[in-house]
Amino acid sequence: MQPGVITLGGFLGTDKRDFTQIIADDEKTLEKCGKTAEEIAERLEYFQQQSFDAFESNTIVDNKYKVETEVVRGYLPCPFNHQGIYRKSYTTVTNLQSGKSFTFSALNIHLIRAHHFFEGKKSHFRLEPDEVIKELF
Amino acid sequence: MMLQRIVTDILLMSGIGVVLAFIMVIAQRWLSNYGEVNLNINSKRDMKVTGGNSLLATLSDSQIFIPSACGGRGSCGACKCKVIDGGGPLLPTERPLLTKAEQADSIRLACQVKVKSDINIQIPEDIFNIRRFNTVIEEIVDYTYDIKGIVFKLQNGETIDFKAGQYVQLETVPYAKVKQKVVRAYSISSKPELNDRIQLIIRLVPEGICTTWVHKFLKVGDKVSFTGPYGDFYLRDTDADILFVAGGSGKAPIKSMLEHLQEVGTKRKMTYFFGARTTKDLYLTDEFRVFEKHFDDFSYVPVLSHASPEENWDGKTGFVMPYFKDAIRDPKNTEAYLCGSPGMISAVTKSLIEYGLSEEKIYYDSFG
Repeated sequence: MQPGVITLGGFLGTDKRDFTQIIADDEKTLEKCGKTAEEIAERLEYFQQQSFDAFESNTIVDNKYKVETEVVRGYLPCPFNHQGIYRKSYTTVTNLQSGKSFTFSALNIHLIRAHHFFEGKKSHFRLEPDEVIKELF
Repeated sequence: MMLQRIVTDILLMSGIGVVLAFIMVIAQRWLSNYGEVNLNINSKRDMKVTGGNSLLATLSDSQIFIPSACGGRGSCGACKCKVIDGGGPLLPTERPLLTKAEQADSIRLACQVKVKSDINIQIPEDIFNIRRFNTVIEEIVDYTYDIKGIVFKLQNGETIDFKAGQYVQLETVPYAKVKQKVVRAYSISSKPELNDRIQLIIRLVPEGICTTWVHKFLKVGDKVSFTGPYGDFYLRDTDADILFVAGGSGKAPIKSMLEHLQEVGTKRKMTYFFGARTTKDLYLTDEFRVFEKHFDDFSYVPVLSHASPEENWDGKTGFVMPYFKDAIRDPKNTEAYLCGSPGMISAVTKSLIEYGLSEEKIYYDSFG
């Protein structure tokens, strides 16, 4: 979780909360919004797959989202010591109506699905659950 | 009275803690001390090693380097090797990363196998060519806003023997908030004939520990280590025509291959399609135009996918695949060398097969 172990900035950002509290707080937000972490992960994976199908180039999905993925060399392991490694792919989804963009990695999808972990505030790849639900569903 | 009791309890608990710690230290010393054990490799080489470490670390201490993408965390599955006996039972941490066939064939993860007793293993002979090199940074060049070329001069008169297209694993040192070494793979971009130094082409990756170190902290004169060479992506010595397809830092192994061919001479027909987003992502263009003059039949073809009108780009645009047709004169006698993202590799491979290339002659180094 800490900076400089798996990623340069770590997964907690400037958040002073324990990661279990971050997860608990985000779960409350999800509950309020009527979505599960698994649904969020599935939605992000859908955009990522659409982008992979377009060979990672710019592609328009559902006439509403611009999606682009960049893949760089290497893999990242899960900070929760799960088996497996995750491709260093960074997908950016832009809601063309609102102009709001979200960037997430393959590891983000795993962290959300398996651990309900959206990362700490100000972390490089932090996703705000309510904003994701508002803009990407 | 109460205070005295609290102090007594604290002292008692502290005493128990100290005794337990002492017992654990003794236990660690005696129970985990496996002494000297015999490590046999490929039924040929016997080595006396100190037991207690992982097989990966034990081999590394003996200057035998098995590739590992996760640094021994047991998450990447890259450090597979055959353990004939002495490796103990297969661990739950290994099972998810080994196929049933691999498990049946005694394949193990070297990072998870602990060397406790005499052990017999099998590893590819190529691995013995992999060494650790101490170097000094000789040159750092900005190629684009996010790509640098770095020259590593080997020390103590050492030389490296590699094939054009292979890679090394660069080892970082602690810096800023990064307290531990990480290891990352990069293709060698210089020619094998220049064997007292290597060049790497490294692109800055968001949140990348190694690439940030290279781009923001590394200076000329710094001491850096790497291990290598690794990989089976290398130029085949045939007379077949060649298609190279690579963008970004994927240009590194292609540069090495072309510089090697320049050194040894070739009459092969070659075309290099360099995919990039905009003109800002083009680099080493003049150097590759020089190759066009040097070789009898070589074309360098940059293709931009997102050039804006303001860039006044008058070259090729879009995907690279539609341009293959004009470059392939005999698909049955054409090899392709691809380096880049899995999406690019997949799209290009599919297209080349449609053009009639044999899948066995499509060699690639996939980033993913």
